[in-house]
Amino acid sequence: MTMNRRSFLATTAAATAVIGTPMILRAQPKEYVLGASLPLTGPFATAGQLVAPAFAMATKLFNDEGGVAGVPIRFVTEDSGYVPQNALNNYQRALASEGKNMIGYFADSTGAMKLIAPELKGENARIMGSTSFASELANPETHPYQYLSGPTYQSQFDILLQNIKNEGGQKVAFIFSNTEFGRDPIEHGRKTAEALGLEVVLEESTKAEGADIPTHVTKLAQSGADHCILQGYVTGVWPQLIGGARQFGLPVKFKGTFWGMEKLIADRITAEAGPFLAGYEGVMPYRYFYDREEAPRYQQYAELSKQMFAGTPLENYMSTWAIQTMCGLEIAMKAFRDTAEAGLELTPDNIAEKLAGISDWDTGGFFGGPVSMENNAIGTGRVYGYNPEDGLFTPKSDWFTV
Amino acid sequence: MINANLKSSYAADERVLNNRYKQAFVYGSILALALFTLFGNDYLILIASQMGILLIAVVGINILTGYTGLVSLGHGAFVAIGAYAVTIFGNLGAGVIPAGIMPFVSVPLAVALAAAVGVLVGLPSLRVKGLYLAVATLAANFIVIFLIEEDIFAPWTGGMVGINTNVPNLLGWELDTKREMFGLIAVVGLVSLLAAQNLIRTRVGRAFIAIRDRDYSAEILGISLLRYKLMSFALSAAYCGLAGALFAYFYARILPEQFELALSLNLVAALIIGGMGRTMGPVFGVIIVVMVPEVIKVLFGALAGDSAGAGQLRAPLQQIAFGVLLVLFLLKEPLGINQIVDRILRAANRWPFARG
Repeated sequence: MTMNRRSFLATTAAATAVIGTPMILRAQPKEYVLGASLPLTGPFATAGQLVAPAFAMATKLFNDEGGVAGVPIRFVTEDSGYVPQNALNNYQRALASEGKNMIGYFADSTGAMKLIAPELKGENARIMGSTSFASELANPETHPYQYLSGPTYQSQFDILLQNIKNEGGQKVAFIFSNTEFGRDPIEHGRKTAEALGLEVVLEESTKAEGADIPTHVTKLAQSGADHCILQGYVTGVWPQLIGGARQFGLPVKFKGTFWGMEKLIADRITAEAGPFLAGYEGVMPYRYFYDREEAPRYQQYAELSKQMFAGTPLENYMSTWAIQTMCGLEIAMKAFRDTAEAGLELTPDNIAEKLAGISDWDTGGFFGGPVSMENNAIGTGRVYGYNPEDGLFTPKSDWFTV
Repeated sequence: MINANLKSSYAADERVLNNRYKQAFVYGSILALALFTLFGNDYLILIASQMGILLIAVVGINILTGYTGLVSLGHGAFVAIGAYAVTIFGNLGAGVIPAGIMPFVSVPLAVALAAAVGVLVGLPSLRVKGLYLAVATLAANFIVIFLIEEDIFAPWTGGMVGINTNVPNLLGWELDTKREMFGLIAVVGLVSLLAAQNLIRTRVGRAFIAIRDRDYSAEILGISLLRYKLMSFALSAAYCGLAGALFAYFYARILPEQFELALSLNLVAALIIGGMGRTMGPVFGVIIVVMVPEVIKVLFGALAGDSAGAGQLRAPLQQIAFGVLLVLFLLKEPLGINQIVDRILRAANRWPFARG
């Protein structure tokens, strides 16, 4: 047998696995770089600024654990203003300046993920997580390097529509923002509703911020819907829509998906305008941060937050958005470490293979139980409802997997 | 003022590069670009490619605003037309026209389409000037983006979701790396610049300048305003269309929102900063517009690191710097960087005697 590089690597990797000491065959870099784009300005700046500190925490946490096979990691974070083109520029800049040391990237929108996807070829490919749950990305065939840290928006819609059906609902309205993120599950939702025998009486598109609330509420009233699903909002519009409907005296029940499930926003709205969010429910893939009893990883975060963010609002509470980002980073780190432990080079293809192969993984409390990557997504979640009196989102259903 | 530059014939005086300094500068630039394409680092290649694409569009705006004196705030639309047209023609012609010949068909078609729409958008310029014309052209930007996003055209344009672009294939040579693309952008950019410089010494160019300086005098002298104003719009739109085609080739996917008002304003800002109505104006302007945010990023990175907190501080700073720069140029140096460079060259030329 002639010994070429490939067979030499394979043999060495096998030997390494036998000995049980992980080793990297490529000359190890001094550090691995993970790039990130965040909306620190623009319509979702509130979310971006709340997520930003998570990267500082992640750096400390992961490096204290030994980074990736002993190599420390460093994050390079940039502002995107929630503009996909800016995120793409940031990605290309990071790629050009960090080169092979950059092993992953974290993007901040569905639009950015879709814009960057076709760039991920050959030398320019990197593993890419994001804040997005876009359904289109959950397809290893077309998007081999991109993954979701939870269920797709389509899955979230399926869960909510089933939930509405179970509650005896008949007429549904979809109100969504005029963004990639807002439009993502609408068509699929229409089909699911039809299959369940629900009538979609309104599909209303609004601005992502500063929407014309009275007009949209009037249309909702005219549609005669008994349930309304809100999609594609983060900090604004969704509470105003609910408030407007309540002022109007509409009995319609509102449901939300992940990005409309943040306690900080719900609390702020309640403090400003009263308890009109009572009865608001939505899908959330993770445990809330205050639900730490069976979540050892959350407990670690809590200790670190107390040290690192003392005196700030982040000291005692981590937003759902930051939890989502941390989950995305944990998944990437697991894939990197699995790749390194198998003695493989940290190439995008190797990492993608390990990432797609994650199964029965105990995340330390993010989800109800061990989870698996299917189609580069984790189809697990739970319905929560908000109670303005104690300011908590509490479970309204068991954990389910779609 | 250049000394020791005796001309003994009209032909010599009318050359594009009519003195030794210009020749040396252009040939030196070509050599520098060639070396840079081969040996520049990836990061600089990326930035330079973005500059090159923007430069071609700004050269177009310069023909319209700098030489003909017509204001436009809608030229982002023509970049969009170029980018979408080259992609759509490429998709429609796939399988019919060989891939290696496709760019030689789709790019001229896209440029021609942009020019045709340019004529249409230029029609108001026959009636109105200044601010009124600016608003009329602004509408063009909105209308074009609206049409691209419309569901009726979505099968071709991809609607709001955008569309994946094609890799340019020049006679079998696929330009699938940023470095190869930069080579193409550099060549096209240089040719565009020289073509614009050449245009201005022709009858057409002189007509443009006459219209800029006093349109009714030009008309009395026999220059057809209708013809030359529309020609100026068509030419500038064609340049922007060409920039758009390269934009589509450079990026793997295009979205309508990449060509919105911000792009149109950026083009005009680059021209103001660089210097209107001068060949090198767009070059200086584009260098500044692209480099300022990058330089701030590098300096800030050196001072404050790459943390998210630093990013949060830096983001508004880049925009503020850009705004301040624009205001300073309008106030202190309305003729742009070109004027500053001229002064430096004059001072060097007269050294050790009087400056200025």
